[in-house]
Amino acid sequence: RKTRTMTGSNEYKLNNSPEDSISAVKFSPSTGQFLLVSSWDSTVRLYDVAGNSMRMKYSHLAPVLDCAFYDPTHAWSGGLDTQLKTHDLNTDQDTIVGTHDAAIRCVEYCPEVNVMVTGSWDRSVKLWDPRTPCNAGTFTQPEKVYTLSVAGDRLIVGTAGRRVLVWDLRNMGYVQQRRESSLKYQTRAIRAFPNKQGYVLSSIEGRVAVEYLDPSQEVQKKKYAFKCHRLKENGIEQVYPVNAISFHSVHNTFATGGSDGFVNIWDPFNKKRLCQFHRYPTSIASLAFSNDGSTLAIASSYMQEQGDINHPEDAVFIRQVTDAETKPK
Amino acid sequence: MGRKKKKQMKPWCWYCNRDFDDEKILIQHQKAKHFKCHICHKKLYTGPGLAIHCMQVHKETIDGVPNAIPGRVDIELEIYGMEGIPEKDMQERRRTLEQKQESQKKKQNQDDSDEDDDDDDAPGPSSFQQPPQMTTPQPQAGYAPPMSQPGMPPGAGAPGMPPGGYSGMPPMMPGVPPMMHGMPPGMHGMPPGMMHGMGGMMPPMMPGMPGMPPGMPPHMGHRPGLPHMAPAPAAAGMPRPAAATAAPAAVTKPLFPSAVQMGSHAPSTASSSVSVDSQSAAASKPLFSNSPQAQQSASGAVPHSVPSTSSDPPKATFPAYTQSSAPSSSNPPSSTVAKPPATVTSKPATLTTTSATSKLIHPDEDISLEERRAQLPRYQRNVPRQGQVHMSAPPVAAVGGMMPPQQGMPPQQPGMRHPMHGQYGAPPQGMPGYMQGGMPPYGQGPPMGYQGGPPMGMRPPVMSPAGRY
Repeated sequence: RKTRTMTGSNEYKLNNSPEDSISAVKFSPSTGQFLLVSSWDSTVRLYDVAGNSMRMKYSHLAPVLDCAFYDPTHAWSGGLDTQLKTHDLNTDQDTIVGTHDAAIRCVEYCPEVNVMVTGSWDRSVKLWDPRTPCNAGTFTQPEKVYTLSVAGDRLIVGTAGRRVLVWDLRNMGYVQQRRESSLKYQTRAIRAFPNKQGYVLSSIEGRVAVEYLDPSQEVQKKKYAFKCHRLKENGIEQVYPVNAISFHSVHNTFATGGSDGFVNIWDPFNKKRLCQFHRYPTSIASLAFSNDGSTLAIASSYMQEQGDINHPEDAVFIRQVTDAETKPK
Repeated sequence: MGRKKKKQMKPWCWYCNRDFDDEKILIQHQKAKHFKCHICHKKLYTGPGLAIHCMQVHKETIDGVPNAIPGRVDIELEIYGMEGIPEKDMQERRRTLEQKQESQKKKQNQDDSDEDDDDDDAPGPSSFQQPPQMTTPQPQAGYAPPMSQPGMPPGAGAPGMPPGGYSGMPPMMPGVPPMMHGMPPGMHGMPPGMMHGMGGMMPPMMPGMPGMPPGMPPHMGHRPGLPHMAPAPAAAGMPRPAAATAAPAAVTKPLFPSAVQMGSHAPSTASSSVSVDSQSAAASKPLFSNSPQAQQSASGAVPHSVPSTSSDPPKATFPAYTQSSAPSSSNPPSSTVAKPPATVTSKPATLTTTSATSKLIHPDEDISLEERRAQLPRYQRNVPRQGQVHMSAPPVAAVGGMMPPQQGMPPQQPGMRHPMHGQYGAPPQGMPGYMQGGMPPYGQGPPMGYQGGPPMGMRPPVMSPAGRY
């Protein structure tokens, strides 16, 4: 199995990067020009990627753990201060939409149902009507929410304790599916396939699972898992958390980023790695493909896997990707 | 005499002192007898390999190598065939062999010496293969009769399951554990995996498990089959306060270092976002619009009315066990096991991050990197103090910037205050009435029909902070 290692001039570092670890990078739904970056420095920044400049910045009271675009002019974000904020990118104005009872870990937008979704360490998911904006329901999860992803009108929630819950955003009266992660270690990230048929789940133990939502046995047979983001050093295999997953919206391939500092792109249908980029200075904390799949934002940011120690500076790299790197062969 | 010359030592199994003619066969023996997982019967290659497998796949600790004689149960030793045997045991073996040969020689000399030639062909050690028949004066230290180990106490005979290890057995299965401990020595020929395998499978049948309500506090839901995990979480909670107390030493960063820049950036943004704005108008969608995409997804998958449980093939009773063998075998088409409904997870509160062959680059605690990091004092400055706020009498109020270990605490409690409420023209949030999660802040009733019964009815019961997991 051959893997190309790619380096080159198709990549640059964003200026004015956050002053502490990066928690999330998210592209605007309409254009690859704008990128939201949330950080442990308590800020959310809006970058003009094409111009490599920071266009706006707003703050929370405490580190921001996630952010999302509602539409191209509204950012939503939440973090340790437990407040869900929406920021109007035109007027540069904040609104506190509501709160959770503990840190907000995830913020996502579901265009199909037009709701914002937040997941929190208070063991709940809340939905928010983005127009009002206001709370539109609270839904208890069995454990702290670590990650969530929207697949069409379904919501896939990954919690502590390796649980996975599938909710129907149009009928939140009950949990549509309760699952246990097929990976043995803590769930790190879940991202839904753009085709909405399944999701990819990564764990802290250098492993990624490809799962399908359709519970029929036939379909479930297709699911699988594989190891990645492991490095052999001195005969010992270093196994890294897989922190980030981002799907290529066109090809349904996906990138994973690990604490090993590598970004891999996978073809889930042929079970092949399409490519591996060069090693980034430190852990890959977040990844985002632009909507058209031409650009990948890569947050290289130490996540204290090995404690509160010195580390390379936090940075966001913008990389132009090609079909050769992202398209199934 | 041929038998005098120093030949290379014949293969023998360090774990049970059995002799072999061929190291390949020895390795087969070791895999089958000593390195086989008692739960899934997977044959590993070394003791550490077995231990890692059991830990990672089944979340069980193995205290000793199965079917090893006393003193040879060390699971940490990496022995493979004749490789890795401690030198002292090699020497001892040599010595014993020599002594045996001596005694044998004497014996043979006393007996009729016709068979000398045969013995010559079969060099010393091989004659050693049936020690029980031989009248060895007294076994050397640590040299128990190999093979069937007839006189061996059951506990020692199955070191793979030292009594302690089986405290992990669900207590509700009275039949099983005793069998393990009291397993008659004669049964050792039987693959230990069988019994153990059953043990491993038991938990799912435990009463009350599968049907456990979703809202059940997770720590109560830990698999009873693995109680040894229960103590671990408590321990895992300990480092946290320690870290928190240690941390005040750390330098606190200014939280808003570059807020100054904001003003200068604003104008440019405004101009740029004008164009953006038009896009947004186009992009904005009606609430609950029935986009074609949504239908697509629905057709591609299950009708939403199908409850999850019905959809789950009744197959896997206990995924952690059933699947385990699959994922462990490195690559893709492995885990096909469907998920059982609502099986309560057991997560190790502490992770095994290091083994003989691999190292997990992650803290020992099985909490997310973010949770761990959030405990650092420098991030706590403006964080609503969960534990304090939630408890009506804040007991730890004095501890500056420290987030009390709220792991096991139900975060949802009324009466919590957020410092910034209402500041940004969103008064409703500040209203005390808005506390219980399901309440909409704007008083518009159960909005969008979301006030589903179950979530409300199943909020985690309030637990004492002591109920940590």
